Amino acid sequence: MEHEDPRNGESTHCSSKKPKISSKFISEAEIRGEFSHHQPCMARINNGSFGSCPGSVLAAQRQLQLQFLRQPDAFYFNTLRDGITASRKIIKDLINADHVDEVSLVDNATTAAAIVLQQIGRSFAEGKFQKNDTVLMLHCAFQAVKKSIQAYVTRAGGSAIEVRLPFPVNSEEEIISEFKKSIEKGKSNGRKIRLAIIDHITSMPSVLIPVKELVRICRAEGIDQVFVDAAHAIGSVKVDVKEVGADFYVSNLHKWFFCPPSVAFLYCKNSNVSSDVHHPVVSHEFGNGLPIESAWIGTRDYSSQLVVPAVLEFVNRFEGGIDWIMKRNHDEVVKMGKMLAESWGTNLGSPPKMCAGMLMVGLPSRLCLNSEEDAVRLRSHLRDYYEVEVPLFYQALKDGEEGVRDKDGFITGYARISHQVYNTLEDYEKFRDAINRLVEDGKTCKMLCIE
Amino acid sequence: MASPLHTQTNSNTSAMNGTSASAADPKSQLSKKPRLHAPTPPLLITPSDILSEFSHHDPSIARINNGSFGCCPSSVLSAQQHLQLQWLQQPDHFYFNQLQSRILQSRNIIKEMVNADHVDEVSIVDNATTAAAIVLQQIAWGFAEGRFHPGDAAVMLHYAYGAVKKSVEAYVTRAGGYVIEVPLPFPVNSVVEIVQEFREALMRGKQNGRRVRLAVIDHVTSMPSVVIPVKELVRICREEGVDQIFVDAAHGIGCVDVDMKQIGADFYTSNLHKWFFCPPSVAFLYCRRSTESSDLHHPVVSHEYGNGLAIESAWIGTRDYSAQLVVPKVLEFINRFEGGIDGIKKRNHEAVVEMGEMLVKAWGTHLGCPPEMCSSMVMVGLPACLGISSDQDTLKLRTYLRDKFSVEVPIYYRAPKDGEVGPVTGYARISYQVYNKVDDYYKFRDATNQLVHNAFTCASLPN
Repeated sequence: MEHEDPRNGESTHCSSKKPKISSKFISEAEIRGEFSHHQPCMARINNGSFGSCPGSVLAAQRQLQLQFLRQPDAFYFNTLRDGITASRKIIKDLINADHVDEVSLVDNATTAAAIVLQQIGRSFAEGKFQKNDTVLMLHCAFQAVKKSIQAYVTRAGGSAIEVRLPFPVNSEEEIISEFKKSIEKGKSNGRKIRLAIIDHITSMPSVLIPVKELVRICRAEGIDQVFVDAAHAIGSVKVDVKEVGADFYVSNLHKWFFCPPSVAFLYCKNSNVSSDVHHPVVSHEFGNGLPIESAWIGTRDYSSQLVVPAVLEFVNRFEGGIDWIMKRNHDEVVKMGKMLAESWGTNLGSPPKMCAGMLMVGLPSRLCLNSEEDAVRLRSHLRDYYEVEVPLFYQALKDGEEGVRDKDGFITGYARISHQVYNTLEDYEKFRDAINRLVEDGKTCKMLCIE
Repeated sequence: MASPLHTQTNSNTSAMNGTSASAADPKSQLSKKPRLHAPTPPLLITPSDILSEFSHHDPSIARINNGSFGCCPSSVLSAQQHLQLQWLQQPDHFYFNQLQSRILQSRNIIKEMVNADHVDEVSIVDNATTAAAIVLQQIAWGFAEGRFHPGDAAVMLHYAYGAVKKSVEAYVTRAGGYVIEVPLPFPVNSVVEIVQEFREALMRGKQNGRRVRLAVIDHVTSMPSVVIPVKELVRICREEGVDQIFVDAAHGIGCVDVDMKQIGADFYTSNLHKWFFCPPSVAFLYCRRSTESSDLHHPVVSHEYGNGLAIESAWIGTRDYSAQLVVPKVLEFINRFEGGIDGIKKRNHEAVVEMGEMLVKAWGTHLGCPPEMCSSMVMVGLPACLGISSDQDTLKLRTYLRDKFSVEVPIYYRAPKDGEVGPVTGYARISYQVYNKVDDYYKFRDATNQLVHNAFTCASLPN
């Protein structure tokens, strides 16, 4: 997209400068219009947590909600299932799955994790797995997934092993090496590793993981099943489930793929195991395959699952579609991350190629972010006093390890900045200036007031 | 004799004509004249208010199926949209500062409405189907962890909701439990028939030294719809040493009296979007405090795992929780009606019985149960000549009624028993909710009469 970058402070009324022929692509003004429901004046640099949804998709959703309310029985019998199937077909094509039967729609990655792990739990309960057979996950796996492992695996007699990934990280080799070490440990004492859960993009701290390579290693090491938790992936990185080669792959559509809250797809490669996964909320369609089970789990609002076609329309208003959006987000977040690190004298949490639309940026050590509570406090303070929304991460120093330093001390706090199409340079400048101001004023996290 | 339904209709007409409604009939609460001095707050809802609150319903349809998907007034929908917008505007702020306190507020209201002891006993989930999965998953763990023995039983009604039966299969049968169904007569003539069958089923459950670990009892069955004497059945369960009792009251709140302490079950769930005017979808699951209730978990495990079901259910990953947050607004709506929810229940019941009796008279059939065994839904026999002879026929006929006559009503197939002559094999489940009019039922009456007149049979409908 050749439009003038508003960050340069020039006119944003591109239509007056562009020839008619490219006005079929979305303009900067139209993008602003699509996200005009976002709170103005807020530097919203946290697309990663809750995502975003353009006004035109919200309008399509409201139409569907109204249709249901108007005559729910007719909607249920004549519209709902076909609408879900249409969405599933679009996703199947986007992710390069072989068959639409491999694609189920669920609420979110948390639900998908419960589905996969419940199946593992049943295998323990039914004696298919031995006590202490293992499930492998990353140390920084999403907290909800860890709890799910506790609820379904540990409780059923399985054990869990965590892969400690270095952070800040410098190369994919570091990750691969730790992963291999943990597999060795997991297989020690004759244990079998029944499931490996691998994040495609970790949440906190956020790093792009070389999943394809890790899945290959899992296969080589005889791990039964591989589940890729790619909550952040679709709309953020290229998603090719055949290339990745996992048994299960989940991604939220409401984070980076412009769907309203909430909807995710769970890909289940056709296999013996995939016929034994079930939606935990059992309804009439139990036993008819996960996609069909998931398409009816009792009366609820399914409208967010039905607007995928409208999202595709939105995304294709950008020249280059979702590929362009992904690349733009990546390039911009790296640019902004470097700008911030330079201004603060800090670092990035990973090399640019190991991030997608999010990046970890070191916070000045003078802020003394030394605990989770400090991170929460600073985050709230930034929201309430500086109108900046950004999640923060506390990285404890490890004994005997060389921490990363800035000119004043060890860097123990990182901000996870996101870039999505609605973001502007001002958002990041606002954040930059807020932190600089706090440092100038000699503030540490513990001193900060919150509302 | 003036009936609440006809009086309502009259007052509808008079309100629409702008003439003053008669206040003479004590039953025409909706047509009270405003007093000449300062009105008593809050002003009662008027018929035209009601029309407006449900103006988003398809006006061409006789919508006599509130039981399936419920309804939601537009003032509540507006409140919901406002909350959805707040989330979209600044989701992090909403998540950290609004969501949990608002869910708690809804739970507190429900706790009061259902006479629970403590708000900890009240969890909010999507629907009764989810609640069933929660209760049944806990039973499955009982088997898996050896607290229950293979062959220990779960008892449920033959007319238990299809989704619940599947859930029992998924979580109980699969885990090694033995399932007993209580056959219930239909049509049914008295609660004694139900109690009798239930006792016998419990006896079967306890044979060979088996323990009955769970009884699943509908408060109002779905198809065919009958109000079950739950209080009595719960008492019998306690007498007979049933471990846990789960009342599936999907149609409970806003339909029948819902008093947790009176009913005495361990678990009780009811949808709020069916008869309690919430948008789709939201339900409550009441769990009486005990050892078992601390082992209940939401199957979608998230950060709050282990902090109690109510807290777990209040965050199951990013989604739209707005339907759970409008309960205060719903209470406002309900309290605009004379007698609040109790007044609505009473009038719905009286109206649906009146409409049911009007239909059976017109068609020469009968109701599926005595009036005191129905709530705001009743089963109405369809003329035998329509030839309803399978579940598939009921679906085909229902579609035909929708497409050709603009009547929305679910139909139930009752297989004839040996020796029955000219049996009624099809029953329509009619509902009555505040937006219904007598014309809706006339439309259904006339459509059916026309089918009979045309010698229509289900066999003539394509597959």
